Amino acid sequence: MWIAVDARGCWHDVPVAVGFAPTRRRVGSMPILVAGLAAFAVSGRVLHTFVTGHPELATAGTVFCGVFIQAVPFLVVGVVVSGLIAAFAPAERLARWLPRRRGAAILAAAVGGAALPGCECGSVPVARRMFSDGALGAAALTFMLAAPAVNPVVLVATAVAFPGQPKMMAARCSASLLTALIVGAGWSKWGRLEWITRRLPAPHGGNSSRWALFREAARHDFVQAGSYLVVGAGAAALLHVLVPPWIFEHLAGHLLVGVLAMAALAVVLALCSVADAFVASSLSMLPLLPRLVFLVVGPAVDVKLIAMHAGMFGRAFAARFAPAAFAVATLTATVVGVLMLGGVR
Amino acid sequence: MSRETENAALLLVGLSTGMVAVTGAFTRYVKPSLLPWLLCAAVLLVAFGLTTIIGDARGRAQGDHGHTHRSAIAWLLAVPIVVLIFVVPPALGAGAANPTVVAVSTDVLHRPFPALPAGRAPVVSLPNVLERVANDTAGTLDHRLITVTGFVVHDRDTTYLARVVITCCAADAQLARIRLTGAPVAQASSLSNNSWLSVEGVVLPGPAPTLDVSGMTPTEPPANTYAYFSS
Repeated sequence: MWIAVDARGCWHDVPVAVGFAPTRRRVGSMPILVAGLAAFAVSGRVLHTFVTGHPELATAGTVFCGVFIQAVPFLVVGVVVSGLIAAFAPAERLARWLPRRRGAAILAAAVGGAALPGCECGSVPVARRMFSDGALGAAALTFMLAAPAVNPVVLVATAVAFPGQPKMMAARCSASLLTALIVGAGWSKWGRLEWITRRLPAPHGGNSSRWALFREAARHDFVQAGSYLVVGAGAAALLHVLVPPWIFEHLAGHLLVGVLAMAALAVVLALCSVADAFVASSLSMLPLLPRLVFLVVGPAVDVKLIAMHAGMFGRAFAARFAPAAFAVATLTATVVGVLMLGGVR
Repeated sequence: MSRETENAALLLVGLSTGMVAVTGAFTRYVKPSLLPWLLCAAVLLVAFGLTTIIGDARGRAQGDHGHTHRSAIAWLLAVPIVVLIFVVPPALGAGAANPTVVAVSTDVLHRPFPALPAGRAPVVSLPNVLERVANDTAGTLDHRLITVTGFVVHDRDTTYLARVVITCCAADAQLARIRLTGAPVAQASSLSNNSWLSVEGVVLPGPAPTLDVSGMTPTEPPANTYAYFSS
Protein backbone atom coordinates (compact mmCIF):
# COMPACT_ATOMS: atom_id res chain seq x y z
CA MET A 1 0.00 0.00 0.00
CA TRP A 2 2.77 2.40 0.92
CA ILE A 3 4.66 1.56 -2.25
CA ALA A 4 1.60 2.31 -4.36
CA VAL A 5 1.16 5.63 -2.62
CA ASP A 6 4.82 6.47 -3.06
CA ALA A 7 4.65 5.54 -6.70
CA ARG A 8 1.67 7.80 -7.22
CA GLY A 9 3.49 10.56 -5.38
CA CYS A 10 6.50 10.16 -7.62
CA TRP A 11 4.39 10.49 -10.74
CA HIS A 12 3.29 13.89 -9.63
CA ASP A 13 6.80 15.09 -9.07
CA VAL A 14 6.99 15.41 -12.84
CA PRO A 15 3.73 17.06 -13.78
CA VAL A 16 4.92 17.91 -17.27
CA ALA A 17 5.76 14.28 -18.08
CA VAL A 18 2.21 13.22 -17.30
CA GLY A 19 0.92 15.22 -20.20
CA PHE A 20 3.58 13.98 -22.63
CA ALA A 21 3.40 10.27 -21.82
CA PRO A 22 -0.25 9.22 -21.74
CA THR A 23 0.60 5.53 -22.04
CA ARG A 24 2.41 5.62 -18.68
CA ARG A 25 -0.24 7.77 -17.06
CA ARG A 26 -2.02 6.64 -13.90
CA VAL A 27 -5.07 8.12 -12.27
CA GLY A 28 -3.82 11.08 -10.24
CA SER A 29 -5.13 12.18 -6.87
CA MET A 30 -6.94 15.27 -8.21
CA PRO A 31 -9.33 13.30 -10.48
CA ILE A 32 -9.97 10.91 -7.57
CA LEU A 33 -10.82 13.82 -5.26
CA VAL A 34 -13.06 15.52 -7.83
CA ALA A 35 -14.83 12.28 -8.77
CA GLY A 36 -15.26 11.33 -5.13
CA LEU A 37 -16.75 14.69 -4.22
CA ALA A 38 -19.03 14.60 -7.26
CA ALA A 39 -20.26 11.15 -6.21
CA PHE A 40 -20.98 12.43 -2.71
CA ALA A 41 -22.69 15.53 -4.12
CA VAL A 42 -25.05 13.31 -6.11
CA SER A 43 -25.71 10.95 -3.22
CA GLY A 44 -25.71 13.64 -0.52
CA ARG A 45 -29.47 13.63 0.03
CA VAL A 46 -29.52 9.83 0.34
CA LEU A 47 -26.56 9.87 2.73
CA HIS A 48 -28.15 12.56 4.89
CA THR A 49 -31.40 10.58 5.13
CA PHE A 50 -29.50 7.38 5.88
CA VAL A 51 -27.43 8.99 8.63
CA THR A 52 -30.44 10.74 10.14
CA GLY A 53 -32.33 7.43 10.17
CA HIS A 54 -29.65 5.68 12.23
CA PRO A 55 -29.37 7.45 15.61
CA GLU A 56 -25.93 6.06 16.46
CA LEU A 57 -24.52 7.04 13.08
CA ALA A 58 -26.09 10.48 13.44
CA THR A 59 -24.56 10.89 16.90
CA ALA A 60 -21.15 9.82 15.65
CA GLY A 61 -21.39 12.24 12.73
CA THR A 62 -22.47 15.14 14.92
CA VAL A 63 -19.75 14.49 17.51
CA PHE A 64 -17.17 14.25 14.72
CA CYS A 65 -18.28 17.62 13.32
CA GLY A 66 -18.34 19.08 16.83
CA VAL A 67 -14.76 18.12 17.66
CA PHE A 68 -13.46 19.08 14.22
CA ILE A 69 -15.27 22.43 13.89
CA GLN A 70 -14.36 23.40 17.44
CA ALA A 71 -10.67 22.71 16.82
CA VAL A 72 -10.34 24.34 13.38
CA PRO A 73 -10.02 27.97 14.58
CA PHE A 74 -7.41 26.96 17.18
CA LEU A 75 -5.53 24.95 14.60
CA VAL A 76 -5.53 27.90 12.19
CA VAL A 77 -4.15 30.25 14.86
CA GLY A 78 -1.50 27.61 15.61
CA VAL A 79 -0.34 27.19 12.01
CA VAL A 80 -0.26 30.96 11.41
CA VAL A 81 2.14 31.33 14.33
CA SER A 82 4.18 28.29 13.30
CA GLY A 83 4.41 29.82 9.82
CA LEU A 84 5.66 33.09 11.29
CA ILE A 85 8.28 31.21 13.30
CA ALA A 86 9.41 29.28 10.22
CA ALA A 87 9.75 32.55 8.31
CA PHE A 88 11.28 34.81 10.95
CA ALA A 89 12.83 32.55 13.63
CA PRO A 90 14.10 29.35 11.99
CA ALA A 91 15.35 26.47 14.14
CA GLU A 92 19.02 27.31 13.49
CA ARG A 93 18.54 30.78 14.92
CA LEU A 94 16.56 29.42 17.89
CA ALA A 95 19.41 27.01 18.62
CA ARG A 96 21.94 29.84 18.51
CA TRP A 97 19.95 31.73 21.14
CA LEU A 98 20.20 28.90 23.68
CA PRO A 99 22.65 29.17 26.63
CA ARG A 100 25.78 27.02 26.47
CA ARG A 101 25.39 25.31 29.84
CA ARG A 102 23.28 22.18 29.55
CA GLY A 103 20.98 22.77 32.52
CA ALA A 104 20.34 26.36 31.50
CA ALA A 105 19.76 25.27 27.90
CA ILE A 106 17.12 22.72 28.98
CA LEU A 107 15.37 25.35 31.08
CA ALA A 108 15.53 27.90 28.27
CA ALA A 109 14.17 25.35 25.79
CA ALA A 110 11.24 24.60 28.09
CA VAL A 111 10.42 28.29 28.49
CA GLY A 112 10.91 28.89 24.76
CA GLY A 113 8.68 25.95 23.92
CA ALA A 114 6.05 27.24 26.30
CA ALA A 115 6.10 30.68 24.69
CA LEU A 116 5.81 29.43 21.11
CA PRO A 117 2.50 27.98 19.98
CA GLY A 118 2.79 24.86 17.90
CA CYS A 119 1.18 21.50 17.40
CA GLU A 120 3.08 18.39 18.42
CA CYS A 121 3.24 17.46 14.75
CA GLY A 122 5.03 20.73 13.98
CA SER A 123 7.39 20.59 16.93
CA VAL A 124 8.86 17.20 15.97
CA PRO A 125 10.64 18.44 12.82
CA VAL A 126 11.71 21.63 14.61
CA ALA A 127 13.16 19.60 17.48
CA ARG A 128 14.92 17.29 15.02
CA ARG A 129 16.65 20.26 13.40
CA MET A 130 17.60 21.69 16.81
CA PHE A 131 18.88 18.23 17.78
CA SER A 132 21.15 18.30 14.74
CA ASP A 133 24.35 16.40 15.65
CA GLY A 134 23.28 15.89 19.26
CA ALA A 135 25.04 18.79 20.95
CA LEU A 136 21.69 20.35 21.86
CA GLY A 137 19.89 17.00 22.20
CA ALA A 138 18.46 17.43 25.68
CA ALA A 139 17.28 20.97 24.96
CA ALA A 140 15.71 19.88 21.67
CA LEU A 141 13.73 17.08 23.32
CA THR A 142 12.61 19.39 26.12
CA PHE A 143 11.45 21.86 23.49
CA MET A 144 9.66 19.09 21.60
CA LEU A 145 7.66 18.14 24.70
CA ALA A 146 7.06 21.68 25.96
CA ALA A 147 6.06 23.40 22.71
CA PRO A 148 2.84 21.50 21.99
CA ALA A 149 1.74 21.02 25.60
CA VAL A 150 2.42 24.35 27.30
CA ASN A 151 1.76 27.23 24.94
CA PRO A 152 -0.71 30.12 24.95
CA VAL A 153 -3.05 28.60 22.37
CA VAL A 154 -3.29 25.26 24.17
CA LEU A 155 -3.74 26.91 27.55
CA VAL A 156 -6.51 29.17 26.24
CA ALA A 157 -8.18 26.13 24.69
CA THR A 158 -7.93 24.31 28.02
CA ALA A 159 -9.42 27.28 29.87
CA VAL A 160 -12.27 27.45 27.34
CA ALA A 161 -12.89 23.70 27.58
CA PHE A 162 -12.96 23.71 31.38
CA PRO A 163 -14.99 26.81 32.25
CA GLY A 164 -15.02 27.55 35.96
CA GLN A 165 -11.95 25.37 36.57
CA PRO A 166 -8.83 27.52 36.09
CA LYS A 167 -6.95 25.03 38.29
CA MET A 168 -7.09 22.58 35.40
CA MET A 169 -5.16 24.94 33.14
CA ALA A 170 -2.56 25.67 35.84
CA ALA A 171 -2.15 21.96 36.64
CA ARG A 172 -1.77 21.08 32.96
CA CYS A 173 0.83 23.81 32.49
CA SER A 174 2.90 22.71 35.52
CA ALA A 175 2.71 18.97 34.84
CA SER A 176 3.62 19.29 31.16
CA LEU A 177 6.49 21.66 31.88
CA LEU A 178 7.85 19.29 34.55
CA THR A 179 7.52 16.34 32.16
CA ALA A 180 9.51 18.20 29.50
CA LEU A 181 12.25 19.16 31.98
CA ILE A 182 12.53 15.64 33.47
CA VAL A 183 12.71 13.96 30.05
CA GLY A 184 15.30 16.50 28.87
CA ALA A 185 17.43 15.96 31.97
CA GLY A 186 17.01 12.20 31.58
CA TRP A 187 18.28 12.38 28.00
CA SER A 188 21.40 14.31 28.99
CA LYS A 189 22.13 11.63 31.61
CA TRP A 190 21.23 8.38 29.83
CA GLY A 191 20.66 9.31 26.18
CA ARG A 192 22.82 7.65 23.50
CA LEU A 193 23.57 9.20 20.12
CA GLU A 194 23.74 5.79 18.40
CA TRP A 195 19.94 5.49 18.85
CA ILE A 196 19.57 8.30 16.34
CA THR A 197 19.68 6.36 13.11
CA ARG A 198 17.87 8.83 10.86
CA ARG A 199 19.92 11.65 9.37
CA LEU A 200 18.55 15.08 8.50
CA PRO A 201 17.45 15.52 4.88
CA ALA A 202 19.33 18.05 2.78
CA PRO A 203 17.99 21.57 3.42
CA HIS A 204 15.83 23.24 0.79
CA GLY A 205 17.27 25.84 -1.52
CA GLY A 206 17.52 29.12 0.40
CA ASN A 207 16.15 31.45 -2.27
CA SER A 208 12.54 31.46 -1.02
CA SER A 209 11.00 34.71 0.19
CA ARG A 210 9.83 35.17 3.77
CA TRP A 211 6.21 35.16 2.62
CA ALA A 212 6.71 31.91 0.71
CA LEU A 213 8.37 30.31 3.76
CA PHE A 214 5.48 31.44 5.97
CA ARG A 215 2.80 30.22 3.59
CA GLU A 216 4.59 26.93 2.99
CA ALA A 217 5.04 26.16 6.71
CA ALA A 218 1.49 27.18 7.63
CA ARG A 219 -0.01 25.21 4.77
CA HIS A 220 2.08 22.12 5.50
CA ASP A 221 1.31 22.22 9.23
CA PHE A 222 -2.41 22.60 8.63
CA VAL A 223 -2.55 19.71 6.17
CA GLN A 224 -0.55 17.48 8.54
CA ALA A 225 -2.20 18.47 11.80
CA GLY A 226 -5.66 18.73 10.24
CA SER A 227 -5.37 15.20 8.89
CA TYR A 228 -4.43 13.85 12.31
CA LEU A 229 -7.24 15.91 13.80
CA VAL A 230 -9.65 14.00 11.54
CA VAL A 231 -8.32 10.76 13.06
CA GLY A 232 -8.82 12.17 16.55
CA ALA A 233 -12.31 13.50 15.89
CA GLY A 234 -13.30 10.19 14.28
CA ALA A 235 -11.94 8.24 17.26
CA ALA A 236 -13.76 10.53 19.67
CA ALA A 237 -16.99 10.06 17.71
CA LEU A 238 -16.59 6.26 17.69
CA LEU A 239 -15.73 6.27 21.37
CA HIS A 240 -18.83 8.31 22.08
CA VAL A 241 -21.07 5.75 20.41
CA LEU A 242 -19.24 2.51 21.21
CA VAL A 243 -18.07 2.94 24.80
CA PRO A 244 -21.04 2.49 27.13
CA PRO A 245 -21.32 5.19 29.82
CA TRP A 246 -21.06 2.64 32.63
CA ILE A 247 -17.40 2.08 31.75
CA PHE A 248 -16.63 5.67 32.65
CA GLU A 249 -18.78 5.44 35.76
CA HIS A 250 -16.80 2.32 36.64
CA LEU A 251 -13.50 4.11 36.00
CA ALA A 252 -14.71 7.04 38.06
CA GLY A 253 -14.82 4.82 41.13
CA HIS A 254 -11.25 3.54 40.75
CA LEU A 255 -8.77 6.36 40.60
CA LEU A 256 -5.70 4.27 39.71
CA VAL A 257 -7.52 2.32 37.00
CA GLY A 258 -8.96 5.60 35.74
CA VAL A 259 -5.53 7.23 35.56
CA LEU A 260 -3.98 4.30 33.68
CA ALA A 261 -6.97 3.96 31.35
CA MET A 262 -6.92 7.68 30.49
CA ALA A 263 -3.14 7.60 29.95
CA ALA A 264 -3.60 4.66 27.57
CA LEU A 265 -6.52 6.43 25.89
CA ALA A 266 -4.35 9.51 25.30
CA VAL A 267 -1.82 7.34 23.45
CA VAL A 268 -4.43 5.54 21.37
CA LEU A 269 -6.59 8.54 20.44
CA ALA A 270 -3.62 10.66 19.28
CA LEU A 271 -5.49 13.94 19.58
CA CYS A 272 -3.97 17.28 18.63
CA SER A 273 -2.99 19.23 21.73
CA VAL A 274 -5.31 22.10 20.79
CA ALA A 275 -8.27 19.72 20.60
CA ASP A 276 -7.67 17.25 23.41
CA ALA A 277 -8.97 19.58 26.13
CA PHE A 278 -12.39 19.54 24.50
CA VAL A 279 -12.46 15.76 24.41
CA ALA A 280 -11.28 15.56 28.04
CA SER A 281 -13.95 18.08 28.95
CA SER A 282 -16.60 15.87 27.33
CA LEU A 283 -15.66 12.93 29.60
CA SER A 284 -17.41 14.75 32.40
CA MET A 285 -18.29 11.57 34.32
CA LEU A 286 -14.61 11.18 35.27
CA PRO A 287 -12.88 13.11 38.06
CA LEU A 288 -10.44 15.84 37.03
CA LEU A 289 -7.26 13.88 37.91
CA PRO A 290 -7.53 11.15 35.22
CA ARG A 291 -8.51 13.83 32.71
CA LEU A 292 -5.41 15.83 33.64
CA VAL A 293 -3.30 12.71 33.00
CA PHE A 294 -5.00 12.47 29.60
CA LEU A 295 -4.03 16.07 28.78
CA VAL A 296 -0.41 15.68 29.92
CA VAL A 297 0.30 12.29 28.30
CA GLY A 298 -1.40 13.11 24.96
CA PRO A 299 0.94 15.85 23.69
CA ALA A 300 4.02 13.96 24.98
CA VAL A 301 3.44 10.54 23.45
CA ASP A 302 0.76 9.03 21.24
CA VAL A 303 0.60 6.69 18.27
CA LYS A 304 1.06 9.38 15.62
CA LEU A 305 4.00 10.90 17.54
CA ILE A 306 5.66 7.49 17.93
CA ALA A 307 5.42 7.12 14.15
CA MET A 308 6.87 10.61 13.60
CA HIS A 309 9.71 10.01 16.08
CA ALA A 310 10.60 6.78 14.32
CA GLY A 311 10.55 8.65 11.03
CA MET A 312 12.60 11.67 12.10
CA PHE A 313 14.96 10.20 14.75
CA GLY A 314 14.98 6.45 14.11
CA ARG A 315 13.28 3.35 15.50
CA ALA A 316 15.80 2.66 18.24
CA PHE A 317 15.14 6.16 19.59
CA ALA A 318 11.34 5.88 19.35
CA ALA A 319 11.34 2.47 21.08
CA ARG A 320 13.07 4.00 24.13
CA PHE A 321 11.63 7.51 24.09
CA ALA A 322 7.93 6.51 23.95
CA PRO A 323 7.81 4.34 27.11
CA ALA A 324 10.06 6.77 29.02
CA ALA A 325 7.94 9.81 28.11
CA PHE A 326 4.75 7.85 28.87
CA ALA A 327 5.93 6.87 32.36
CA VAL A 328 7.27 10.33 33.21
CA ALA A 329 4.13 12.11 31.95
CA THR A 330 1.74 9.77 33.78
CA LEU A 331 3.62 10.00 37.08
CA THR A 332 4.16 13.77 36.91
CA ALA A 333 0.52 14.44 36.03
CA THR A 334 -0.67 12.22 38.87
CA VAL A 335 1.55 13.90 41.45
CA VAL A 336 0.76 17.43 40.22
CA GLY A 337 -2.94 16.53 40.03
CA VAL A 338 -3.06 15.25 43.60
CA LEU A 339 -1.26 18.39 44.79
CA MET A 340 -3.16 20.99 42.74
CA LEU A 341 -6.59 19.51 42.07
CA GLY A 342 -7.06 17.79 45.39
CA GLY A 343 -6.80 14.46 43.54
CA VAL A 344 -9.24 12.00 45.04
CA ARG A 345 -12.52 13.73 44.61
CA MET B 1 -2.10 12.90 -2.43
CA SER B 2 -0.27 15.27 -4.75
CA ARG B 3 0.55 18.83 -3.79
CA GLU B 4 -2.13 20.22 -6.10
CA THR B 5 -4.76 17.99 -4.51
CA GLU B 6 -3.60 18.97 -1.02
CA ASN B 7 -4.13 22.61 -1.96
CA ALA B 8 -7.59 21.83 -3.28
CA ALA B 9 -8.41 19.96 -0.06
CA LEU B 10 -7.16 22.91 2.01
CA LEU B 11 -9.37 25.27 -0.01
CA LEU B 12 -12.37 22.95 0.40
CA VAL B 13 -11.87 22.57 4.17
CA GLY B 14 -11.92 26.38 4.35
CA LEU B 15 -15.00 26.59 2.16
CA SER B 16 -16.90 23.92 4.10
CA THR B 17 -16.03 25.61 7.40
CA GLY B 18 -17.28 28.90 5.97
CA MET B 19 -20.39 27.20 4.64
CA VAL B 20 -21.51 25.70 7.97
CA ALA B 21 -20.76 29.07 9.60
CA VAL B 22 -22.80 31.10 7.10
CA THR B 23 -25.75 28.70 6.87
CA GLY B 24 -25.94 28.41 10.67
CA ALA B 25 -25.53 24.62 10.54
CA PHE B 26 -22.54 25.05 12.87
CA THR B 27 -24.90 25.53 15.84
CA ARG B 28 -25.63 21.79 15.63
CA TYR B 29 -21.97 21.11 16.44
CA VAL B 30 -20.56 23.98 18.52
CA LYS B 31 -21.56 26.99 20.60
CA PRO B 32 -22.96 29.99 18.67
CA SER B 33 -20.25 32.25 20.16
CA LEU B 34 -17.63 30.49 18.01
CA LEU B 35 -19.06 32.13 14.84
CA PRO B 36 -16.51 34.97 14.40
CA TRP B 37 -13.62 32.55 14.97
CA LEU B 38 -15.04 30.12 12.42
CA LEU B 39 -15.39 32.88 9.83
CA CYS B 40 -11.79 34.07 10.42
CA ALA B 41 -10.50 30.50 10.19
CA ALA B 42 -12.45 29.91 6.98
CA VAL B 43 -11.13 33.11 5.37
CA LEU B 44 -7.52 32.27 6.33
CA LEU B 45 -7.77 28.69 5.05
CA VAL B 46 -9.25 29.82 1.73
CA ALA B 47 -6.49 32.45 1.49
CA PHE B 48 -3.77 29.84 2.16
CA GLY B 49 -5.30 27.49 -0.40
CA LEU B 50 -5.71 30.13 -3.12
CA THR B 51 -2.34 31.83 -2.70
CA THR B 52 -0.55 28.47 -2.71
CA ILE B 53 -2.37 27.39 -5.87
CA ILE B 54 -1.51 30.71 -7.56
CA GLY B 55 2.09 30.61 -6.28
CA ASP B 56 2.54 27.05 -7.55
CA ALA B 57 1.08 27.92 -10.93
CA ARG B 58 3.57 30.81 -11.25
CA GLY B 59 6.42 28.58 -10.08
CA ARG B 60 5.53 25.96 -12.67
CA ALA B 61 5.47 28.59 -15.38
CA GLN B 62 9.05 29.41 -14.38
CA GLY B 63 10.07 25.75 -14.55
CA ASP B 64 10.16 25.14 -10.80
CA HIS B 65 8.78 21.70 -9.97
CA GLY B 66 8.34 22.51 -6.32
CA HIS B 67 8.79 20.34 -3.28
CA THR B 68 8.63 16.58 -3.44
CA HIS B 69 7.06 16.01 -0.03
CA ARG B 70 3.99 13.76 -0.22
CA SER B 71 1.77 12.23 2.37
CA ALA B 72 -1.14 9.83 2.13
CA ILE B 73 -2.51 11.02 5.46
CA ALA B 74 -3.84 14.20 3.80
CA TRP B 75 -6.63 12.13 2.19
CA LEU B 76 -8.29 12.24 5.60
CA LEU B 77 -9.08 15.92 4.99
CA ALA B 78 -11.71 14.71 2.52
CA VAL B 79 -13.71 13.26 5.43
CA PRO B 80 -14.75 16.56 7.08
CA ILE B 81 -15.42 18.08 3.63
CA VAL B 82 -17.83 15.27 2.77
CA VAL B 83 -19.44 15.21 6.21
CA LEU B 84 -19.85 18.98 6.52
CA ILE B 85 -21.02 19.73 2.96
CA PHE B 86 -22.92 16.62 1.92
CA VAL B 87 -23.91 14.50 4.92
CA VAL B 88 -24.66 17.35 7.39
CA PRO B 89 -25.42 15.30 10.52
CA PRO B 90 -28.46 16.52 12.51
CA ALA B 91 -28.39 18.13 15.95
CA LEU B 92 -28.19 15.68 18.84
CA GLY B 93 -31.49 14.37 20.20
CA ALA B 94 -32.44 13.07 23.59
CA GLY B 95 -31.17 9.56 22.97
CA ALA B 96 -27.72 10.77 22.01
CA ALA B 97 -26.93 12.96 24.98
CA ASN B 98 -25.36 11.28 27.94
CA PRO B 99 -28.48 10.25 29.87
CA THR B 100 -27.59 11.69 33.23
CA VAL B 101 -29.36 14.41 35.09
CA VAL B 102 -27.25 17.50 34.98
CA ALA B 103 -25.50 17.83 38.30
CA VAL B 104 -24.54 21.48 38.26
CA SER B 105 -20.85 21.82 39.05
CA THR B 106 -20.13 22.31 42.73
CA ASP B 107 -17.14 24.43 41.77
CA VAL B 108 -19.52 27.25 40.91
CA LEU B 109 -20.03 29.14 44.13
CA HIS B 110 -23.48 29.64 45.55
CA ARG B 111 -24.43 33.19 44.79
CA PRO B 112 -27.47 35.42 44.47
CA PHE B 113 -28.82 35.20 40.91
CA PRO B 114 -30.30 38.26 39.18
CA ALA B 115 -34.06 38.55 39.59
CA LEU B 116 -36.30 37.04 36.92
CA PRO B 117 -37.89 39.42 34.42
CA ALA B 118 -41.20 40.92 35.48
CA GLY B 119 -44.44 39.54 34.08
CA ARG B 120 -46.87 36.75 34.86
CA ALA B 121 -44.76 33.83 33.72
CA PRO B 122 -41.30 34.87 32.45
CA VAL B 123 -39.44 32.50 30.14
CA VAL B 124 -36.42 30.83 31.78
CA SER B 125 -34.16 28.37 29.96
CA LEU B 126 -34.13 24.86 31.40
CA PRO B 127 -30.39 24.80 32.29
CA ASN B 128 -30.82 28.20 33.93
CA VAL B 129 -33.65 26.81 36.05
CA LEU B 130 -31.36 23.95 37.15
CA GLU B 131 -28.53 26.38 37.94
CA ARG B 132 -30.86 28.50 40.03
CA VAL B 133 -32.23 25.43 41.83
CA ALA B 134 -28.68 24.30 42.70
CA ASN B 135 -26.87 27.57 43.41
CA ASP B 136 -29.24 30.49 43.86
CA THR B 137 -29.04 32.06 47.33
CA ALA B 138 -31.55 34.82 46.49
CA GLY B 139 -34.52 32.48 46.05
CA THR B 140 -35.51 34.05 42.72
CA LEU B 141 -37.56 30.98 41.73
CA ASP B 142 -39.59 30.73 44.94
CA HIS B 143 -43.34 30.91 44.30
CA ARG B 144 -42.78 32.31 40.82
CA LEU B 145 -44.70 31.08 37.82
CA ILE B 146 -42.20 30.49 34.99
CA THR B 147 -42.34 29.29 31.39
CA VAL B 148 -39.91 26.58 30.33
CA THR B 149 -39.53 25.01 26.88
CA GLY B 150 -38.15 21.55 26.19
CA PHE B 151 -38.98 18.08 24.92
CA VAL B 152 -40.68 15.23 26.75
CA VAL B 153 -38.64 12.34 28.10
CA HIS B 154 -40.18 9.40 29.92
CA ASP B 155 -37.91 7.53 32.33
CA ARG B 156 -39.64 4.62 34.02
CA ASP B 157 -42.81 6.15 35.51
CA THR B 158 -41.59 9.74 35.61
CA THR B 159 -42.15 12.42 33.00
CA TYR B 160 -39.36 14.94 32.42
CA LEU B 161 -38.98 18.09 30.41
CA ALA B 162 -35.48 18.03 28.91
CA ARG B 163 -32.99 19.99 26.81
CA VAL B 164 -29.67 18.91 25.33
CA VAL B 165 -27.02 21.21 26.85
CA ILE B 166 -23.61 21.71 25.27
CA THR B 167 -20.65 23.39 26.94
CA CYS B 168 -18.23 23.63 24.01
CA CYS B 169 -19.19 21.24 21.26
CA ALA B 170 -21.47 18.30 20.56
CA ALA B 171 -18.95 15.91 22.13
CA ASP B 172 -19.74 17.22 25.61
CA ALA B 173 -23.55 17.12 25.26
CA GLN B 174 -25.52 16.43 28.40
CA LEU B 175 -29.21 15.98 29.03
CA ALA B 176 -30.61 18.58 31.40
CA ARG B 177 -34.01 17.53 32.70
CA ILE B 178 -36.59 18.59 35.24
CA ARG B 179 -39.33 16.37 36.69
CA LEU B 180 -42.88 17.40 35.83
CA THR B 181 -45.72 16.98 38.33
CA GLY B 182 -49.26 18.37 38.60
CA ALA B 183 -52.63 17.69 37.06
CA PRO B 184 -51.82 18.47 33.39
CA VAL B 185 -48.96 15.98 33.43
CA ALA B 186 -51.26 12.97 33.20
CA GLN B 187 -52.04 14.41 29.80
CA ALA B 188 -48.31 14.79 29.02
CA SER B 189 -47.73 11.10 29.67
CA SER B 190 -49.80 10.39 26.62
CA LEU B 191 -47.48 12.63 24.62
CA SER B 192 -44.69 10.83 22.84
CA ASN B 193 -41.02 11.12 23.73
CA ASN B 194 -39.22 14.01 22.02
CA SER B 195 -42.38 16.08 21.46
CA TRP B 196 -41.76 19.73 22.26
CA LEU B 197 -43.73 21.54 24.97
CA SER B 198 -43.92 24.99 26.48
CA VAL B 199 -44.76 24.52 30.14
CA GLU B 200 -45.96 26.94 32.81
CA GLY B 201 -45.34 26.02 36.43
CA VAL B 202 -43.74 26.69 39.77
CA VAL B 203 -40.50 25.05 40.95
CA LEU B 204 -41.11 22.96 44.08
CA PRO B 205 -38.62 23.12 46.94
CA GLY B 206 -36.68 19.89 47.48
CA PRO B 207 -33.45 18.16 46.41
CA ALA B 208 -34.63 16.89 42.98
CA PRO B 209 -35.57 19.69 40.57
CA THR B 210 -39.33 19.45 40.04
CA LEU B 211 -41.79 21.71 38.25
CA ASP B 212 -45.42 21.81 39.41
CA VAL B 213 -47.16 22.31 36.10
CA SER B 214 -50.29 24.42 35.74
CA GLY B 215 -50.46 24.70 31.96
CA MET B 216 -48.77 23.35 28.86
CA THR B 217 -48.88 23.93 25.11
CA PRO B 218 -47.27 21.85 22.38
CA THR B 219 -44.75 23.91 20.35
CA GLU B 220 -42.52 23.54 17.35
CA PRO B 221 -38.85 22.66 18.06
CA PRO B 222 -36.73 25.86 18.10
CA ALA B 223 -34.30 26.45 15.24
CA ASN B 224 -31.40 25.77 17.61
CA THR B 225 -32.46 22.84 19.75
CA TYR B 226 -29.54 23.11 22.19
CA ALA B 227 -29.50 25.13 25.40
CA TYR B 228 -26.49 26.55 27.26
CA PHE B 229 -25.46 27.22 30.83
CA SER B 230 -25.22 30.90 31.63
CA SER B 231 -21.94 30.73 33.57
